[in-house]
Amino acid sequence: MAEPSASSRADAGSSGSTATEVWFFCLRLLGGRYAFEAHLVTEVVRLGPLTRLPAAPSFLPGVFTHRGEVLPVLDIGQLVGQPAVPIRANTRAALITCGPWKVAVVSEAVEGLVAIPRRLLEQAPGESSGVAEFLTAVGRDKQGPVAILDLPRLVEAARARAVPAGGAGS
Amino acid sequence: MSETSDILLFQVGVRIFATPVRDAIRIGSVRDVPADTLILDSSLGRPYSRERGIVVATPDEHLERTLVIDEVLGVRTILDVELRPLPPFAAACLPGGAVTGFVLLDESPMPLVDLPTVVRERLARPNPRI
Repeated sequence: MAEPSASSRADAGSSGSTATEVWFFCLRLLGGRYAFEAHLVTEVVRLGPLTRLPAAPSFLPGVFTHRGEVLPVLDIGQLVGQPAVPIRANTRAALITCGPWKVAVVSEAVEGLVAIPRRLLEQAPGESSGVAEFLTAVGRDKQGPVAILDLPRLVEAARARAVPAGGAGS
Repeated sequence: MSETSDILLFQVGVRIFATPVRDAIRIGSVRDVPADTLILDSSLGRPYSRERGIVVATPDEHLERTLVIDEVLGVRTILDVELRPLPPFAAACLPGGAVTGFVLLDESPMPLVDLPTVVRERLARPNPRI
């Protein structure tokens, strides 16, 4: 039985609703800690050399190959109007699958799975700009505060911003 | 046995692209090409120089246009298993249909472009500077 105090957003985590902790996958981005539903992550990879795409939006800095598959890179910083996440030889990314989209979310560092006590998850401040627009909750673990992202909504917003509604934008 | 395709590699600015050889009618100097049939800037970028071009047919108009490029890097025969589709997210985010996929060359993805689409999209833009 779910704890009455547990946020519905906490249910988005990878553990069962009766657990006292919720598991998320945590990246360091924009100078902070951002986490999202752990089940979205299939793998963590080191980014290879990127191939830039002509006329691509800034949040899509390029593609790379991983085990023979060409994967697009998503830069959340650029999507929310912040500086680009620096891409270096040792930059790592989380491969995520959100519905039909498979993307590599580039990060400053990968923390991996984090367990956040449900009692330490709170509703995100209701802001509608920048990365705050995509937060569903804020929490805290032993490492400090962590912001919980609605990654599927963020990825969908990226797609929607790139292509004007009702057309291919050509 | 795997099928093969012939692709043309060319450079525009700092970027290298691949295209099926069949999309290029001919390649040559643009020196004597009428200015109104040259395409200097397209979704592929703007070349540094104005010396070489790829002549492309525009099926809709039954005309030839010359896409100005910086350099032809050669023709390669590749195995079709080295072709990769455009990832759905990238396809959804790109504003046009010029990039149709990738060719893996030394495991690096090289954008595979459809030159007639590049030309058509450029001509469709308002106030085309050709």
